[in-house]
Amino acid sequence: MFIRLLRESFIRNPRRKLLTCIALVLGMAVATSTFTVAVDVSDQLAREFRSFGANLMVAPRGDTLPVEIGGVDYRPITEGAYLSVSELSRLKTIFWRHNILGFTPFLDVPVSVAVSSGKAAGASFPVVLIGTWYRHSLALEDGTNFSTGAFSTNPWWRIRGQWFAENSSQCVVGSALAEKYGIVVGDELNVSAQSFGTGKPLTVGGIVSTGESQDEAILCPLSVAQELSGKAGQFRNLFVSALTKPEDAFSRRDPNSMTPTEFDRWYCTPYISSISRQIQEVFPDTQVQPIRRIADTEGRVLTHISLLLWIVTIAALIAAALAVAATSATTAMERRSDVGLMKALGATNLLVGGLFISEQLLLAAIGGCAGFALGAGLARELGETVFGVPTSPRLIVLPIILATAALIVVIGSWIPLYRAAHVSPAPILRGE
Amino acid sequence: MFKRLLWHLLNGNRIRLTVALLALTSGGAVVSALMNLEADINHRLAQEFRSLGANLVVSAPPAAGASAVSSGLIDASVMQVVEPLDSFGGTASPYLYVVARAGSAPGREVVVAGTWLDRVMQISPWWKISGDSSLSRADLTHCLVGRNVSRNLNAISGSTLTLYYRRQTANLIVAGVIDAGGPEDNQIFANLPVVQALAGEAGKVQLVQLSVAGSPDDIRAVQAELQSALPNLSVKPVPQITEAEGMLLHRIRFLIFSTGLLILVLTALCILATMAALAMERRRDVGLMKALGGSVQKVLRIFLAEVGIMAFAGGILGYALGMLLSVWMGERVFGTRIAPRWEVLPATLILMLLVAFAGAMPLRLLGNVRPAVILRGE
Repeated sequence: MFIRLLRESFIRNPRRKLLTCIALVLGMAVATSTFTVAVDVSDQLAREFRSFGANLMVAPRGDTLPVEIGGVDYRPITEGAYLSVSELSRLKTIFWRHNILGFTPFLDVPVSVAVSSGKAAGASFPVVLIGTWYRHSLALEDGTNFSTGAFSTNPWWRIRGQWFAENSSQCVVGSALAEKYGIVVGDELNVSAQSFGTGKPLTVGGIVSTGESQDEAILCPLSVAQELSGKAGQFRNLFVSALTKPEDAFSRRDPNSMTPTEFDRWYCTPYISSISRQIQEVFPDTQVQPIRRIADTEGRVLTHISLLLWIVTIAALIAAALAVAATSATTAMERRSDVGLMKALGATNLLVGGLFISEQLLLAAIGGCAGFALGAGLARELGETVFGVPTSPRLIVLPIILATAALIVVIGSWIPLYRAAHVSPAPILRGE
Repeated sequence: MFKRLLWHLLNGNRIRLTVALLALTSGGAVVSALMNLEADINHRLAQEFRSLGANLVVSAPPAAGASAVSSGLIDASVMQVVEPLDSFGGTASPYLYVVARAGSAPGREVVVAGTWLDRVMQISPWWKISGDSSLSRADLTHCLVGRNVSRNLNAISGSTLTLYYRRQTANLIVAGVIDAGGPEDNQIFANLPVVQALAGEAGKVQLVQLSVAGSPDDIRAVQAELQSALPNLSVKPVPQITEAEGMLLHRIRFLIFSTGLLILVLTALCILATMAALAMERRRDVGLMKALGGSVQKVLRIFLAEVGIMAFAGGILGYALGMLLSVWMGERVFGTRIAPRWEVLPATLILMLLVAFAGAMPLRLLGNVRPAVILRGE
């Protein structure tokens, strides 16, 4: 009987249900999309922040004082300590290896350059030659290749011409230097390290503008700098770009003062402090340091933005809930005459109430599912438009949405139905 | 007559109309909160990004003959041109770098930077200085050292440090140690005149760093203004910061804007539902009014007036709530006071009216009611 009544109410009067259904679908769609985006957005924003460049630096322990202005080290090669390139693949073995988005080694060598061809032929000057990776394919221990280099840690470097290929005899000249001496793409340079005599010819493949002191230097493949300085397989320091979670009060505590459970929790969260620790563990003879200028700002801005977006999401959720409750209440009020009739025929309040609640719950189930599908699509579009990466829907949201929909429709239709059930049937049937 | 009918209508369906009013208020509150915050959000975020350091640099254009280590020097009088442009709400500081030797003879090579020590914390807010950080610009006896320098040269706060460059020496007292988490840990900072004397370059600086707050457009405007005031020098933005910052701000604004839009759509939906139900209920009333001679226009005008009043009331209540919400959000999220803006009120009212009229579309169907059919009871 119950099922028949339920089925009849859907078949007989679809139009009334339609309004509630539409409201449910749209309301739940908005709720799903804002929720999905809010959950994803902190990850996306953290990734966006990586375009500010490296946030960690690894330098040899017991190094002498770097003589560094604006990112270029002027020390002679005989001074200071070095790190080994062969150990770099260890970076992709730490617990948070998937958060290491890129790393670039640097070897700065003071050299003398003589321009051997082109308009500026004959010019000779001392300069710093910066050996690095632009786009290097590193073989990892699990057999895969990891592409890393300056394109990842210094994405704001702009090139006119082409970057050097790995292990080639090409170089890239800083824009200020090129302008000073009139060097253009295609020129030949003869480069010799100040303490070694042998010169090496390099072809200028491009002119780079970095906005920093590298504009007054020359960049070349790491292997060339190693060859010229006699430091085979070595480099001076490493810049790492890691995806991190903003620091909070918990992460700022001294890890040595944490209980084992707390330590595990800290270690298994990608704070910049825990990632530094993990890198230190695989490179024991180094000092690993967050680049505070980037890391601090990143943490603060991400925290603020996430909070803001969550508040906005909650506001959207409340608006959605209100819309659904309103339509639910509205349609429930229309059923008063049905309630009156059923009561006149002898139905108990329980039966009547049960019937209508079941109706609403069924609507909530249908509307909720449809709303989830629509909302997931909306979230994808939003993610695509804002971040260029479609946000993937999370199935965990579906039961939450269905439960919310059910709760809202029940609450929304509760009061009108309650009132209808407690008024005597006669006035209702009369039409009042 | 009009007013009496209107009053009657408003009173008759109190529950439904309360729900509609509630929807309009909540929609209005959120939208006005977002509008109030929007202008401030950009300002706040731009301020946040200033903790990344300088975003504009004034330096000498590349000139042949200067050595690679110290590029062309510019006259310190450039600061007199740059400083008054303080209206850009930023900070400017000159820099002169010298690779000197420090410590007991023959000393180790260290980068010494001459600048205005009273401005260092504004240009580089991520520094932590232990010791005395409130040095004046005119102090010629003190210096700040990076923590690696302090460790390498045993230069703790209060000790004396000797700097040598060519034939010049300078004896400075270490006032504080800088913990920068960056290249400044390896450098020594002293006031500009001290380093100018050491390097023998009186009245010269190497570059001027500016930290300008504002949107990418504001920064471009300041850059253009400076470049025209200093045609012989190069005024360039720091690409590491300006590019990424612009992109990030744009994305965040867009996200907030789309969420606000969605909320408005939902509010309209809510009104639609309420009005559709009302339209159904009022068919008989409308039939009666038409039978009594009322024109369709008059009938619709009453209903529109009803919707308009609700939208107005919802808008005002929403604005009040929204201002409270935005003040709370400002406090909670950014830790600053955000002042309510009066311009948001008319904007909210207009939006609520639009939303309400959009939702009131079903009432137009009432115009098609045929009195005889309705009064018969069908």
